[in-house]
Amino acid sequence: MSPGTRPAPTRLRWRPRAYLLWAGAAGLLLAAVAERDPVPIFLAIPFLLAGPAAALAGPRESPALGGHWEAEGSAAEVVVSGTLRAAERVDARDLVLAAPAPPGLTEVAPPVLDRAPGELRFRLRWQAREPTIVVAPPPEIVWRDATGLVERSATLDLPPLIVERYPPELLGIGAVRLRRTTSLPGESIARTIGVAGEFHGIREAVADDPPRRINWPASARQGRLLANEFQVERTGDVLLVLDTRMSSLGPAADARLLALSRAAAAGISNAFLRVKARVGLAVFAEFVTAVPLATGRRQQMRIRSALLGAHPDSSDAPSERCAIALRRYFPPGVTTILLSTLADENRADLVPHLRRRGFPVLTLSPSPLPLTLEGPPLPTADEALVVRLTRLVRREQIARAWEEAPAIDWDDFWSLGRFVDFLRRPDVRRVG
Amino acid sequence: MNGPAPRSRGLASLVLLGAVGGLFGYLSGLPDALGTIVVVAAVGLGAGLQRIRTRSIAHEAFPAPVVAALVSVALLTPYGLLAGLLGGASGVALLVWLADDPGRPAGGIGRSTLAIGVPGLAIGIAWASAFLLPPGAASLGVAVALLVFVVVAVAYLIGEPATYDREGSPLPS
Repeated sequence: MSPGTRPAPTRLRWRPRAYLLWAGAAGLLLAAVAERDPVPIFLAIPFLLAGPAAALAGPRESPALGGHWEAEGSAAEVVVSGTLRAAERVDARDLVLAAPAPPGLTEVAPPVLDRAPGELRFRLRWQAREPTIVVAPPPEIVWRDATGLVERSATLDLPPLIVERYPPELLGIGAVRLRRTTSLPGESIARTIGVAGEFHGIREAVADDPPRRINWPASARQGRLLANEFQVERTGDVLLVLDTRMSSLGPAADARLLALSRAAAAGISNAFLRVKARVGLAVFAEFVTAVPLATGRRQQMRIRSALLGAHPDSSDAPSERCAIALRRYFPPGVTTILLSTLADENRADLVPHLRRRGFPVLTLSPSPLPLTLEGPPLPTADEALVVRLTRLVRREQIARAWEEAPAIDWDDFWSLGRFVDFLRRPDVRRVG
Repeated sequence: MNGPAPRSRGLASLVLLGAVGGLFGYLSGLPDALGTIVVVAAVGLGAGLQRIRTRSIAHEAFPAPVVAALVSVALLTPYGLLAGLLGGASGVALLVWLADDPGRPAGGIGRSTLAIGVPGLAIGIAWASAFLLPPGAASLGVAVALLVFVVVAVAYLIGEPATYDREGSPLPS
């Protein structure tokens, strides 16, 4: 159980069905005494005794369940499958599972359960409305006797499950070679091109690696094949800046757009970390929470934790504060991807402040338009006018942002093709 | 994976409950086998509610019509050798029907042997002692004392669910 989670009450609970039987039994006993007729007593006996007998037959403490679960699927589809193993005295067929979909996901089909005496396998099908990164709470498991008279919550030992869904274009974004690559202190980049270039690090060998690429001494020490990796294969460093300040769009829209930004940030960081690029993250609320540039799986976990902890912030902190604070954590010149809605002046002016402090900014702006147009339809003529005006306002926001730095309008939430194209060919100027 | 339960699931226990309850209703002495009709109708209604596959109150309260019908019939049934036996058997048949819920995994009756067996055994002992022991004031006194003891013990067990917890459990309650 994750720390801070309130454990479910594990004490035995009588179900409404048990109370129904006891109410009947009480009435029968009273009537038997009043009428001096023993027949109601015979009917009252099973009603009275069934509950306690069922309780005695069940587990005497909260059943401890262990196992594993994982999320699969692609794009919007989320398939969670898992296996739970029950201890002695608990038949998995008496386990009842409830797994509500976490925020941002919707249940598309009821859970499919496959029960064996010692094992419960489950399969949940959810759908992501839009890109998201969310922690799925463990399912609630209750032991319930076969007659349905008593139940007891089970104690689950499952690690938290993080569900990440982002546009598929981000999977290959790590292959983009960024122009701005900052060197480490004391590092001099070799001009040699090819595998004879500057040594960067050691990684697990893959089947395609030629024998010359294998680092034989390191492989001998570790007992598994390891290969050399060279500087020329590295892409640049990336800094992701997440602006969590609330805007005039309202708390609900801000929360949804921030969730989209978090998902995009997770996807971008995962893709670049996969190719061993250094990635940093700055979450700007009232102050800056920074994850300094680094690479590796630990960095992935750090960034993920920081993203999961990012929520809309009501403070109206000045943008300059963010730019000044970033210089304390990150070197100037690092490729900076700002995730912001650009909805207000105060949010849009973060771009010039970042540029002035030496951060080359590329803005990825989740558009509030799809959210605005989700509401009930207006009469045709009015709706067309409203849609046109909101699009014009949005275009103007993006165009104004372009005066300072490239800005990509992200209005189709399941596609980041324009953003990836821009990273690949930044010289081709496109507005919006 | 477990597919939907076959339609015949729970039919045997339903027929058993209808048959035993119907006979018990017949002994109530109501004209035109009205007792039987009431019980069988209640069993049918309960079976219909049982098949509502939602988490509604209607599904949760599906045994209510059957319990109400059996209680009404028991209040009207005159004292007799067979009436007592069928009264107890109806209660046990109700538990069998509950355990054979088609909405739950199959084999419920086998898994609730204790929940069905203990009341069944109690009925057997009560019925045997009521009709096989010689009548007398002393026997009546013992029976009343036992009844009071059982009721108090059951009330205690119901009111203190912690009784069923293993002592020294490290788990928070």
